[in-house]
Amino acid sequence: MIAGLLLFLVLPLALAGVVYALRRWATLSAVLSVGTALALGIAIFVLPLGRTVDLWGREIVMGGTISLLGRELVLEEVDRIAIAFLYLTAAGIFALAWQVSPRTMLFPVGFSLLSLLSGSLLIRPLIYASLLVEVAIALSIFALQPEDRGPTRGGLQYLSFSLLALPGLLVIHWLMERYALTPDNTTLLDASAVLLTLSFALLLGSVPFHAWMPAVASDSEPLASAFVFTVNNGAIWFLLLAFLETYPDLSSYSSFSPLVSSAGLVMVIVGGLLAASQRNLGRLMGYGSLADSGVALVALGMGGEQGLALALLALLVRPLGVALMAAGLKRLRAQCPGGDEPDALRGLARKAPWGTLAFLIGGLSTAGLPVSAGFAARWALYRALAPSDLSSALVMMFASAGVIIGVWRALSTLLSRPESSPVGTSEPGRDGLLQWWLLAGVVVLVVAGCVGIGLFPQLITPTAVRLASLYSFLGP
Amino acid sequence: MPLLNDLLARIVSFAAMPAVVGVFVTAGLLVVSRDWRLNLLALAVQYFFVALLMTQVIRLEVAAVKALIGWLICLAFYLTEQQAKSLTRASGERSDLSFQGWFEARLDGWRREGISVRAAFGFMAAVVVSVAAYAAVSAVPISQVPEEFALACYLLIGLGILLLGLSQDPLRVGVGMLMFLSGFDLFYVVLEPSLVVTGLLGSISFVIALGMAYLKTIQAATSDEETAT
Repeated sequence: MIAGLLLFLVLPLALAGVVYALRRWATLSAVLSVGTALALGIAIFVLPLGRTVDLWGREIVMGGTISLLGRELVLEEVDRIAIAFLYLTAAGIFALAWQVSPRTMLFPVGFSLLSLLSGSLLIRPLIYASLLVEVAIALSIFALQPEDRGPTRGGLQYLSFSLLALPGLLVIHWLMERYALTPDNTTLLDASAVLLTLSFALLLGSVPFHAWMPAVASDSEPLASAFVFTVNNGAIWFLLLAFLETYPDLSSYSSFSPLVSSAGLVMVIVGGLLAASQRNLGRLMGYGSLADSGVALVALGMGGEQGLALALLALLVRPLGVALMAAGLKRLRAQCPGGDEPDALRGLARKAPWGTLAFLIGGLSTAGLPVSAGFAARWALYRALAPSDLSSALVMMFASAGVIIGVWRALSTLLSRPESSPVGTSEPGRDGLLQWWLLAGVVVLVVAGCVGIGLFPQLITPTAVRLASLYSFLGP
Repeated sequence: MPLLNDLLARIVSFAAMPAVVGVFVTAGLLVVSRDWRLNLLALAVQYFFVALLMTQVIRLEVAAVKALIGWLICLAFYLTEQQAKSLTRASGERSDLSFQGWFEARLDGWRREGISVRAAFGFMAAVVVSVAAYAAVSAVPISQVPEEFALACYLLIGLGILLLGLSQDPLRVGVGMLMFLSGFDLFYVVLEPSLVVTGLLGSISFVIALGMAYLKTIQAATSDEETAT
């Protein structure tokens, strides 16, 4: 009998080695990566917990507790949905990377990250989860670094900020253990709350610790950046929820909700305002993601199961927008040796139509425009927030308009006539024709998914609601 | 063996303050100096002093493992710098690898140019951070941790963050991160002496070192390509 949860730790690590060895055969390694991530994502979602399943003559049991190096690994319903989210998001990003950046280091590094991040969701106590997340973040630098450019400053900043968060995460555990023994000593609880706030502000790129987000998006590999903004940050969100679930005193701390709401609102405002003024597409993506992260924090700050469900809904739909933006950005950069500065981008829409479409739809979804996946979360949040806090809802709507303005300006540059050498429409050669159709197919598929969720949010909302109902720390 | 352990315990108890001084000197040197050979030597010595301090609170074997991880990182950095130098040499830069040649070149540089503005600024900033660390020991005492330990922690964390802020070179940024981690480890090892935590913290240090080595090699390779074009 095989313990199912070990599959999600060991198999990706083994795959990382295999995919790295197959890097020369880009299509093979990409198909293997997409297929495996998709299969594992579906498997963990579909296989019943606690029951033995016969798979190709082998018995697999999902759920339960196993011991590894003396530490407990526990698979519960919450972890199951969280890990499925990580794997399915990774599969989508791998599929886009297959078309726009097939020789990327993202495939092998991505599998290592999936293994470590899944481990962080399963392991108890939480100090080990924090350490595993930190190892994963340090490993991300290999995927973030573009092969044809100097060292990524964004990657260095990301690692630096995340490393500063580590002490807080580890010390909280010790402080809360002491607080459990001496509940009268509220200084311990105050210190834990401060450390929790600071640590997750650093990890999630909350203002004023947000510098790494636009930096990563502007000078790192775009799809690796999308991986960081969705998979890595997704795992960090689940780590935050695990902290709040494990230490309910922290979630019921008097200033927790207002602090989270304020931090989220500031992120939305700063992200929206700075996105509107960006002419560099990478930084636009970074600020768009910053605003989107802020939306989830505002939802969490609302409190109750509804707030948590909205935060999780924002988290679940984010990958569609960010990954599309990143794929578009990569495609546009590949067509444009001058980087993603405005002068170099003029008229590029005719040369890279699929890249432009991906960037446009991804950007609009990140901004939360109607008929996009991002709108599903935003609209539900505006409706829930408006009766109690109309000003915050209005501020968020205006700030989201900032991201739309940024995307609109980028689109007008991409569609404008170039000042010098005219750009013709892309004419793929016979060899490139199949590649061109494949790219078109993958982009159209993801765009359809993005618009489909925007039109039919009921496809994903029940998952967010169910996930929220599994947490008990915020009460009804 | 018990005799050896007793002897070591006595040495360590006498060596606590000198070890803190050693940590201070090496950390200061790492902030001020931009000579990679000197810096790697300082980092290796710093790992020795940190391990020496740790032997007061954890088993000698565990402290030795931590020192070994540090020295392996120094080795990885040394090999990376050599690789980067050979890549740069390939694009035409002359380099003398002998110790005497290096020393004469440094001496000549100091005679001609004196201390650089960057080094002077680094020195002043390091002094300010060190004074702040000294003040923090009494202002924000760390419970369960001896005073000299706390001073070493604050020094390493403060000077590590300073180095992170002042540098753009991947290896120097990496050294800043490792100093920060060493400082935190010095404090955390008292709270959680678990071997798994030691292993995971060591893994973080090692992955950071490998990542920085990778970035440094890319930096050397891309600057080489730019020179060639």
